[in-house]
Amino acid sequence: MEKLIYSLVSVKNNREALNALLAEMKGISGGDLFVVATDEVAAVVSDIERSGFATDRSMAIEYAGLIEIMSQQFTLLPVRFGSVMESSDKILKMLERNYHDIQQNLQKVDNKCEFGLKILCDPEGIMADLKGKTEAMINTNVTPSAESKNSVYREWVNKKLHEHRLEEMMITFVDSVIAALSVSLVRLNAIHKFKKLVTAATIIDAVFLLDKEKKEILIQSVEEIEKQFPGLNFILTGPWPPYNFVEIVLK
Amino acid sequence: MYDNVIDRSKDITILELLDRVLNKGVILTGDIVISVADVDLVYLGVKLMLSSVETMEQLKAGKGIAEK
Repeated sequence: MEKLIYSLVSVKNNREALNALLAEMKGISGGDLFVVATDEVAAVVSDIERSGFATDRSMAIEYAGLIEIMSQQFTLLPVRFGSVMESSDKILKMLERNYHDIQQNLQKVDNKCEFGLKILCDPEGIMADLKGKTEAMINTNVTPSAESKNSVYREWVNKKLHEHRLEEMMITFVDSVIAALSVSLVRLNAIHKFKKLVTAATIIDAVFLLDKEKKEILIQSVEEIEKQFPGLNFILTGPWPPYNFVEIVLK
Repeated sequence: MYDNVIDRSKDITILELLDRVLNKGVILTGDIVISVADVDLVYLGVKLMLSSVETMEQLKAGKGIAEK
């Protein structure tokens, strides 16, 4: 029977504790959870029959919930939903082949948790605001020559100039929000990843990795920064297992 | 199960959860089967949901500003 893999767990002196936790839980489709382990790393798995295994959204949510429970007691690397291997023996060999990389990743996320932050804006409102500022800037900076005053060419140049200024101002604005966040993140010694201007509305999509005991400070910091930018909507979620900070492809 | 999850909207938390569990984490390659039936369909659902949540949040944000 094939094995569905949930997570790779650090089990230094606590393999029995992991077994005890898994004995109280059930895997996807009601299968028993058990470990395949080598030295200090264990893969948490359950049996599945792939031929009759139909996935849906609720199953993915259930899978994430199981990882969440494990992560509250153990340092782990979450495995992407739908990862299946043919046998325990193959999993064991995979763990042995990748042992060094797995251990390195486990050390990186030890006693840490992840938070996600999406910052949304009203695109029309913010663009209108910036547009007013760029027009003022262009009018003071550009002096039209007599021959090009009303030409089509000048209109085109002005349009492009407006667009360019608008884009520059938007980037500057987003950078100012990131700068405000970064001050807190440095203080918390948090690892962070920022994506800027993901869509017209989502101006920042960020993830943070920080010590579990610092999570309350992060929440307070984000709340304070949100007050500095009343036109933006901050959506903070977490704590999550460290999904976004696992940098490993197992072979 | 999700008592410690801080959220402003349950929908957004579910969306974030699905994005992580379907798109992040340890990747297995080689002779390993990395996906099972219909995962692509689940992910498609997530992408569609992302658009709607974003729209919902924009509307909320706009309303919030207007009320101040």
